Amino acid sequence: MVVELTRHITTLFNFSAAEAQKISLAIDEAVTNVIKHSYGNATDQHITIEYFLATGGIKIRIFYRGLPPDISDEEINVSKMIKKKKKGGLGVKLMKTIMDSVTYETVEGQNCCEMIKWQKTI
Amino acid sequence: MKNFQIRTKMVNGVAVLYLKGHLDAHQVARFEKELIRLIKESNFNILINGQDLNYITSAGMGIIMGYIDEVREKGGDIKLCSLSERVHETFDLVGFTEIYDFIQNEQVAIEKFSHISRKA
Repeated sequence: MVVELTRHITTLFNFSAAEAQKISLAIDEAVTNVIKHSYGNATDQHITIEYFLATGGIKIRIFYRGLPPDISDEEINVSKMIKKKKKGGLGVKLMKTIMDSVTYETVEGQNCCEMIKWQKTI
Repeated sequence: MKNFQIRTKMVNGVAVLYLKGHLDAHQVARFEKELIRLIKESNFNILINGQDLNYITSAGMGIIMGYIDEVREKGGDIKLCSLSERVHETFDLVGFTEIYDFIQNEQVAIEKFSHISRKA
């Protein structure tokens, strides 16, 4: 549902269909990370998503509790991940590649993932 | 929940996996199970045909990443063919297009596997 909602909102705010598709994928990855890593796949937990629309871009904030994400600033190297036979970690790479900014913070036990995407200027 | 289907067919010694629909974290276990089955049965020439694949997330790409080294160690490969522009772009976003062989159509991809087998 969040994928369709994000695609709809971003399309309404003049992102191209291709950009809207990519932004909704980034949100899908972020929410999947929360459910999998912070909530241990529990399906009865709360996630709040806020969309802030501004001239030239969109800011999306995802609030959740549970474990904070294990996010490193280190560049994700797919060749190294293949050698280690890793299956996870690509979601964060996708998020960082698609969005212009991805930041995490924890405030009083509540985690927040904030992502920003600016519209391309022609 | 979005629909996802997986079907496997042997073509000239190549296991072709036809993926259809929406491959995300909810659906990925079936994809992994099928890949493990093929590898256990010593099918190391694996072609993923994504002609009918509408959407893929990191969960699906992670499975391909997790098994490619084992398959290549055994002399085979996992190649991908017939992807839509949108799905191909998703693979490109994580750099897979520099590491994996992406081929436009199934027939050409099968021929590439034949070339590997002859060299071996």
